[in-house]
Amino acid sequence: MNDLHWLTAAGIGAAYSARKLSPVELVRALLDRIAALEPQLHAFIKIDGEAVLAAAREAEREIRAGRRRGPLHGVPVGIKDIIDVAGDVTTCHSKIFLKNVAKEDAEVISRLRAAGALLFGKLSLHEFAIGGPSFDLPFPPARNPWNVDHHPGGSSSGSGTALAAGFLPLALGTDTGGSIRNPAGTCGVVGLKPTYGLVSRRGVFPLAFTLDHIGPMARTVEDAALALDVLAGHDAKDPGSAAVAHGSFGVDLERGVRGLRVGFVRHFHETDVPAHPEVTAALDEAAKVFKREGALVRDIKLPSLLELGGVSRVFMLAESWTVHAPWLRERPGDYAETSRRKLMGGAFLGAGDYVHAQQRRLQLSDAVNAALRDVDVLLCANSLDPACRIDDDAELARTYPRQARSPFNLTGHPALALMCGLSKGGLPLALQIVGRMHDEVTVLRAAAAYERATDWHTRRPPIKTESRPQRSQSSQRKSKPGN
Amino acid sequence: MAVRKTGAATPDVDAYARAAGLAKAVKQFPQDIALAAQAAASARSAAGALDLVNAEPWPPMRVREVK
Repeated sequence: MNDLHWLTAAGIGAAYSARKLSPVELVRALLDRIAALEPQLHAFIKIDGEAVLAAAREAEREIRAGRRRGPLHGVPVGIKDIIDVAGDVTTCHSKIFLKNVAKEDAEVISRLRAAGALLFGKLSLHEFAIGGPSFDLPFPPARNPWNVDHHPGGSSSGSGTALAAGFLPLALGTDTGGSIRNPAGTCGVVGLKPTYGLVSRRGVFPLAFTLDHIGPMARTVEDAALALDVLAGHDAKDPGSAAVAHGSFGVDLERGVRGLRVGFVRHFHETDVPAHPEVTAALDEAAKVFKREGALVRDIKLPSLLELGGVSRVFMLAESWTVHAPWLRERPGDYAETSRRKLMGGAFLGAGDYVHAQQRRLQLSDAVNAALRDVDVLLCANSLDPACRIDDDAELARTYPRQARSPFNLTGHPALALMCGLSKGGLPLALQIVGRMHDEVTVLRAAAAYERATDWHTRRPPIKTESRPQRSQSSQRKSKPGN
Repeated sequence: MAVRKTGAATPDVDAYARAAGLAKAVKQFPQDIALAAQAAASARSAAGALDLVNAEPWPPMRVREVK
């Protein structure tokens, strides 16, 4: 088989079933690609090629013996390095956690292991899932494969980069203010933030307890659904875990959107926080695609993006400060500048601010729920600008907060980001589809219909290597991929 | 919260930060302190007003069942 690195998880499973591919053959191909391109992309904090090959051999034995565990058996999955894998250091991409060895697997890792997935290295991120692309950390920031001079989004930056570069078919991300959907959209892949509580947070280092979500990132909607089937489920040891039964999340992928009611949240990007014209045009075109496919698209009003974002930020600042205050007090210099600035904000909020935000959260959630009684899904912006250069601090500071993702961390609704265009500069643009609580099936159905109707998911980044910004950075990282 | 034209925090912000235990950061990273205070003020301002001051916070208090 050719181009193994672009195989989807579903395609890999089909190839295993047809005995056209073995896990070891796949892993060798991916390690080769990683060895060739990783020095420019920095997707990984750690990758142990020999360990992955050993796991692939074991999966190969089981599959050949007829003991296939399910669709993810023998499928490589990258892990954002804020998620515990027993025996490995969980660095959170920070100097502070360089010796933070995990004692146990996170619940999502246990589920992946049980499904036979190949844990394929720890992926880079924004420090503690909140910073930004930083050059003052022990590990360099991941780059955008569509243009290595530009950022890949974050905070699950390595996950987005690895998928777009053809390093992996699946990755785990975490999302507190949009950290799955930002790199998914920026790297032109798929990212799903599930309903709050659907996927266990146990074993994932917290950023903001009431906003934190874990979810799948993939190159196709089908793969995101397959991964969610494995990841979702009640965990009695996660106090926020939802005890909700679920079947296959991909059950309606082929159903299409004829008759589906789509509410276009136009005011988010047209009046609340005006988007870059290329983003606006791409979203208008996406709405037309849904109409052509038979969906009933109409404009719908939610609370202002500014207000939703403001309340969300109060939670982010207050809760993350609670987590990080001890280190910020004692060793503030060990954080990247960007993280430090963001994490100290909570020190300047009072108890009244937090309670006020809790009161507002209920009102705003009710308003989104009310809108979702009139329509089946919401269509809205993801990022409001194409990705800027990774070394342009001023533009990073200006554009990073310009997004429409954090409202759904605040409310807990499921939200998926999907590529819907390319900027004139050749960088991915993306939309968001948002659904009712625990209705990931309809979110994935709408996304799959859009994916079938367009060819964005077939586009591949050029992965240019020249004109990389020269910024000083230390680089104590990763063992050499084995082969 | 006010910020001086130099980018450093004003004395009231400094005092607030010290009270929060951030004396080291005040000394080493005064501009970061100022920006963090600005971010908090911005979020507080954007969070909007309540039309009902007695609105129940979310989530409401629930007793924990012990089995």
